[in-house]
Amino acid sequence: MIRLESFLVLSAILFSLGVYGVLARRHAVLILMSVELMLNAASINMVAFAAYTSPERFTGVIFAIFIITVAAAEVGLALAIVLRLFRNRTTANVDEVHQLKW
Amino acid sequence: MGMEQAWLIPAIPAAAAGILILFGKYLPRKGDWLSVLAIGTSFVLFFFVLHDLTDALARGGEFTAVHSGREWVRIGSFNLRIGFQVDQLAAVMLAVVSFISLMVQVYSLGYMKGDKRYGWYFAVQSLFAAAMLTLVLADNFLLLYFAWEGVGLCSFLLIGHYHERRSAAEAAKKAFITTRLGDVGLLIGAILLYRSVGTFDMSTIFDAARSGQIDHAYLTAAVLLILLGAMGKSAQFPFHVWLPDAMEGPTPVSALIHAATMVVAGVYLVARTMPLFQVVDGTLVAVTAVGLITTFMSATMGLVMTDIKRVVAYSTLNSLGLMFIALGAGSVTVALLYVFTHAFFKALLFLASGSVYHATDELEVTQMGGLAKKMPVTAAVFTLGAMSMAGLVPLAGFWNKDELLLSTFENHNIFVYLAVLVSVLITALYMTRLVLLVFTGKPRNEHVYEHAREPGPAMKLPLVLLGVLTVFAGFVVFDGVGHLMGFPGGFGEFLFTHEPEAFRINAGVTASSIVLVLVGIAGGFYFWGGAAERAKAVGEAVPQVYSLLRNKFYMDDAYQWVIDRVVLVVAGVVYWYDRVIVNDTGVNGTADATRFGGFLLKFHETGLMPNYALLMTVGVVVLAVVAFIVGT
Repeated sequence: MIRLESFLVLSAILFSLGVYGVLARRHAVLILMSVELMLNAASINMVAFAAYTSPERFTGVIFAIFIITVAAAEVGLALAIVLRLFRNRTTANVDEVHQLKW
Repeated sequence: MGMEQAWLIPAIPAAAAGILILFGKYLPRKGDWLSVLAIGTSFVLFFFVLHDLTDALARGGEFTAVHSGREWVRIGSFNLRIGFQVDQLAAVMLAVVSFISLMVQVYSLGYMKGDKRYGWYFAVQSLFAAAMLTLVLADNFLLLYFAWEGVGLCSFLLIGHYHERRSAAEAAKKAFITTRLGDVGLLIGAILLYRSVGTFDMSTIFDAARSGQIDHAYLTAAVLLILLGAMGKSAQFPFHVWLPDAMEGPTPVSALIHAATMVVAGVYLVARTMPLFQVVDGTLVAVTAVGLITTFMSATMGLVMTDIKRVVAYSTLNSLGLMFIALGAGSVTVALLYVFTHAFFKALLFLASGSVYHATDELEVTQMGGLAKKMPVTAAVFTLGAMSMAGLVPLAGFWNKDELLLSTFENHNIFVYLAVLVSVLITALYMTRLVLLVFTGKPRNEHVYEHAREPGPAMKLPLVLLGVLTVFAGFVVFDGVGHLMGFPGGFGEFLFTHEPEAFRINAGVTASSIVLVLVGIAGGFYFWGGAAERAKAVGEAVPQVYSLLRNKFYMDDAYQWVIDRVVLVVAGVVYWYDRVIVNDTGVNGTADATRFGGFLLKFHETGLMPNYALLMTVGVVVLAVVAFIVGT
C-alpha cells in the first residue's frame, strides 16, 4: 500500500516545478504549461486525500474533474490571447510585453 | 366663510405669487391682473372674517382667538403647526395690510408701466402680501418667524428693484443686513421660550409666562431678544439707519412696505407679545426709551433733509417711535390705532410723492416749488396727508395722536409726555415745510416745473381713496362708527390690552396738542414761507447743529467705521484662517498627500508579468511561513 505522504510529496514536487517554470520561463506558452503542472499537482492532492480519508464519498474526485474542466477552458482562453499577442507583436516573450504600466 | 377659513387670505396671494414667479412672463400683461385680483380677493375675504369676528364678539362672553390650520411636522414631541389665529389684533392688521396692498398694487399698474421687470415686480408684491398676511395671522412663533423673514426678503428684493443702480443695491443690502441683526434676536428669543415651555404656540407660552412657569431671568432675556427683533423690523434706534436708504426702491414699495405694513410688523410683534412684556418689569420702559430716542432723532433729521421721500421716511420713523412709546405705556389700543390711521395717511404721502417723482423725475425739494398749479389733485392729497401726519383736527392723525398723548400723560412720567409734545410741534413744522417747499412758491427749476402733470387714473384712484380715508379713518374711535361697521363699540372697545378703553377726551391734553400743531404749522409758514430765508438764516446761525442733522447724527459714519475697522478686520482674520489652515492645509493638504503617495507607489507597476508572478509567489511563501509560526 502506497502511503498518503508519497502522493503529497509527488504533488509538492510537481507544484514546485510549476512555480519554477512560471518564474523562470519567458515564453508565454511554456508559462501556460507550467501553470498546468501546478493545477495537476492540486488535482493529485484532491484525489489522494479523497481516497485516503473518505473513500465512500466522491468529493475529491469531483473536484479533480472540475479542475480539469476549468484548466481546459483556461487554456483555450489563454492560448487565444497568446495567439493574438503573437499576431500583433510577432513575439510571445513576456519580457518584451510591458505596455500595461504607469 | 368665517374665521376658520382665514388661512385663505394669505394662501390666495401666495398661490398667485407662485404662478407669477413660474409662468408670469407667459401671461397677458405679464400677470399684473392676477396679482391685483389675488389681493382684491383677500381684501373681500377679510370682510367675511371681520363679520364673523364681530358676530362672535356681539354674542358676548369670553372671546378667545379662533385657531385654524394643520400640523405640518411632528418629530417626537416637537410639533410644528401651520396655524392661524383670528382675533381683534389680527383683524386690524389684516385690514391695513390687505387694503394698502390692494391700493399700492393698483397704483403700481400706472407707476411701474414700462418697467423692464414689470412682471417680477408684481410677483414679489404678491409674495410680500402673502408673507405679511401670514405674519399677522400666525399663531406660533416659528410660523411668525418664517413670515417675518419672508417680508424681509421681499423688502430686500423690492428695495433693490433697480439694482443696476449701485446705491439701490447697497440700500437693499443695508436694509437686509440691519434688520437681520434684529431677526436673529427674535429667533433666539423664540427658541428660548420653546426650550422652557416646549412649544412655539403663543397662547400656551403666554399662559406659562403669566403663571410664572418660566424662569424669570430666562424670560427677561427672551423678551428683550424679541424686542430686538421688533426694533430691527420697525427701524428703531439704533437700527433706524436702513429705513431712509430703503427709499431707493420704487415709491409704491416705500408706501407699502416701508410705511404702512412691514415696518409696523415690529409694533405688531410687541403688541402680540404684550402679555410677556407685562410679566417682566422694566421691559416696557426699554420699549419706551427706544421709541423716545427714535422719535427725537427722526423728528430733528426730518427738519433738514431735502429729498422728498426721505423726509417722509423720517416722518415714518417718527411715527414708529411714537407707536413704541404707546406700546411702552402698555396700550395696544393706542399703538394699533396709530398703525391703522398711520397706514392710510403715510401710504398717501408716499404715493403722492411718487406721483411727483413719476412726472418730474426729481426727488430733491430744492428743485421743486409751485407744483400745486400743475398737479392740483396730488398737491391736495399730499397736503391732506401731511396735515394728518402733523395731527390737524379732525384728520385721522389727530385722533391717534390725541389718544397717544392721553395715554402717555396717564401712564408715563411727565418727561415722556413733554417729549411727545415737542415731537408733535416738530412734526407739524417739517410737514408744513415739505408742503411749502414742494407745492408753493416760485418754481425753482423750470425743467421740473414744465414736466409736472397729474398722473393717470390707475394712480389717481388710490390717491383719492386714501385721501378720503385720511379724513375719515380716525373716526373709528367713536362708538357710532363702530356700531355702523358692526363693532361692539369704538376702536378702544374692539381692541384692548385688558379692559375695553372707551374713547375719552382730556380737555387740557387735547387743547395743548391742537395749539402745538397750529403753532407748528404757523412756524412752518414763518420759516419756510416765500423763499425760506428765515429757515436758511437759522441754519447758518447754528452751523454745527445743522451739519449734525444733515449728517444724520454721524451714525452712518460711525457704523461705516465699525464695519471698516472691526468687522472687516475680523473677517480678514477669519478669511485667512479658512483659506490657509482649513482649505490649503486641511482640505488640499490631505488631497495632495494622497496624490503624492500615489505618485510614489505607482512605480511598482512595471508591466512585466514575471515581476508580478515573483511578487505573488514571495507573498504566498511569506504568508505560509507566518501562518506556520503563528500556528505553532
